[in-house]
Amino acid sequence: MKKLLGVALGILTAIGGFVDIGDLVTNAVVGSRFGLSLVWVVVVGVVGICLFASMSGRVAAVSGRATFEIIRERLGPRAAGANLAASFAINLLTLTAEVGGIALALHLASSVEPRLWIPVAALAVWLVLWRVKFAVMENVAGLLGLLLVGFGVALFLLGPDWGELVRQAVPPSPPATEHVATYWYYAVALFGAAMTPYEVFFFSSGAVEEGWTAKDLAQNRVNVLVGFPLGGLLSVAIAACAAVVLLPAGIEVSSLSQIVLPVAQAGGTLLLAVVIVGIVAATFGAALETALSSGYTLAQYLGWSWGKFRRPARAARFHLTMVVALLLAVGILMTSVDPVTVTEMSVVFSAVALPLTYVPILLVANDPEYMGEHVNGRVTNALGMVYLVIVVVAAVAAVPLMIATGAGS
Amino acid sequence: MSREASPGAGVRVVDARLHLLSRQVLDVDGEPVTTVDDLELVAADARDDDAPRDAAPGEPAEVGAILTGPVLVTRLLGGRPPASRWERVPWRDVGHVGTALELTVRADSLDVHWPEGWLREHVVGRIPGGRHDPEEDS
Repeated sequence: MKKLLGVALGILTAIGGFVDIGDLVTNAVVGSRFGLSLVWVVVVGVVGICLFASMSGRVAAVSGRATFEIIRERLGPRAAGANLAASFAINLLTLTAEVGGIALALHLASSVEPRLWIPVAALAVWLVLWRVKFAVMENVAGLLGLLLVGFGVALFLLGPDWGELVRQAVPPSPPATEHVATYWYYAVALFGAAMTPYEVFFFSSGAVEEGWTAKDLAQNRVNVLVGFPLGGLLSVAIAACAAVVLLPAGIEVSSLSQIVLPVAQAGGTLLLAVVIVGIVAATFGAALETALSSGYTLAQYLGWSWGKFRRPARAARFHLTMVVALLLAVGILMTSVDPVTVTEMSVVFSAVALPLTYVPILLVANDPEYMGEHVNGRVTNALGMVYLVIVVVAAVAAVPLMIATGAGS
Repeated sequence: MSREASPGAGVRVVDARLHLLSRQVLDVDGEPVTTVDDLELVAADARDDDAPRDAAPGEPAEVGAILTGPVLVTRLLGGRPPASRWERVPWRDVGHVGTALELTVRADSLDVHWPEGWLREHVVGRIPGGRHDPEEDS
């Protein structure tokens, strides 16, 4: 019974933890401009993140080595250093977007200016990192993030023409008004949002934090393979809400209030309140994960003591890195840059950074010295190779598409 | 080459570049200490002397110590820091070479531990809750 509860909890946390500000903004923007014609990208992204999250979790559980230790060991100090610089910068951008997302959601709920919420949000994130137990932190954020299911409820209340929604999705039929390059630009952005690299740092290091061994692999697999696809459904619901309400009205999403507009229209204040709590929890959870990831990457590259399971004083440099990262994020947001713009940038650059993380994981998951009998099977490797191609193509295409389309405008 | 590399029956061959460089170093409690940024190679017959000397070309050499700190910068950019700036973990403290190098001593007893120790005593340990065990129910 207790085991069953554990499995259920793991799955629910994975669902609630799947969506972050990147998924929220990108899905709503895409829904309001392209309808459901990019849903296939969410499917591709979800399968990809399932594959790599379970692979990096398995590597960490079996070998006890987290992702960036492996990147350093495999690539050597120079290439891994370049990788670290890029990964750290993009992770910082994502952290900035998440903290901004918390502030925007609290602004919606309170009409207090977001810039007043930013330091409060960052302080709250730091306090949780400083004080709260890893498992508690994970579960509370994940479970409250489940409230985003309000987008699904809103979709049903809106009573859309389901046949029309399916027609947009299969076969994918982008609206004639949009340029084909813009379509592919958003395809890359959506892919980057679903497969953000920090999730891999976080999953592998989280496995070490929670002391996983080879015995926990079955549960890890269930959490990921059931939780993430259901989390992906939340993403689709967000896009569908935008496609039903915002697309016909010709509203292009540029703020959080527009993202939740369909929810308010369908379910009134109550449903809106539920969804806002969900957004705060989802962005807060992701802010914790990205802040931790900034500490994980740097500490693992340099071999410092790291981990939330240690007393902060026993991982002093790790905790200090997270404080500095949070301060930098607050500093960037205080220049009154729009968090939605930061989010859009972060998902595109996430797509650029994907190969840096995934290639070393794929290599080590096949290395018997690390993995023993738990090396990748044939099916995983075949899928892994397919995704290697997808990830590299998306990374190479991202910046040219961004320039060609003027960042999708 | 390291001691394990000397030929003999039942002895595991360790490639310094493949199995030692850039590996994580853990202390006796499993706490991360540093990464192997470089290795100090000394003449095999001078290992236990008070003043180990560099091996001459062609002469048998042994790993004298794991190097870290400023050596990382020179490994990235080239060159070599003066010996006085080397931060060393003596090879005799290494207990096991696996996917990480496990030491037989505690991190606190090592010289290379000073940045962590300094930040612990002067910054992080002084913030309220800095010595609180997060896994304990509070």
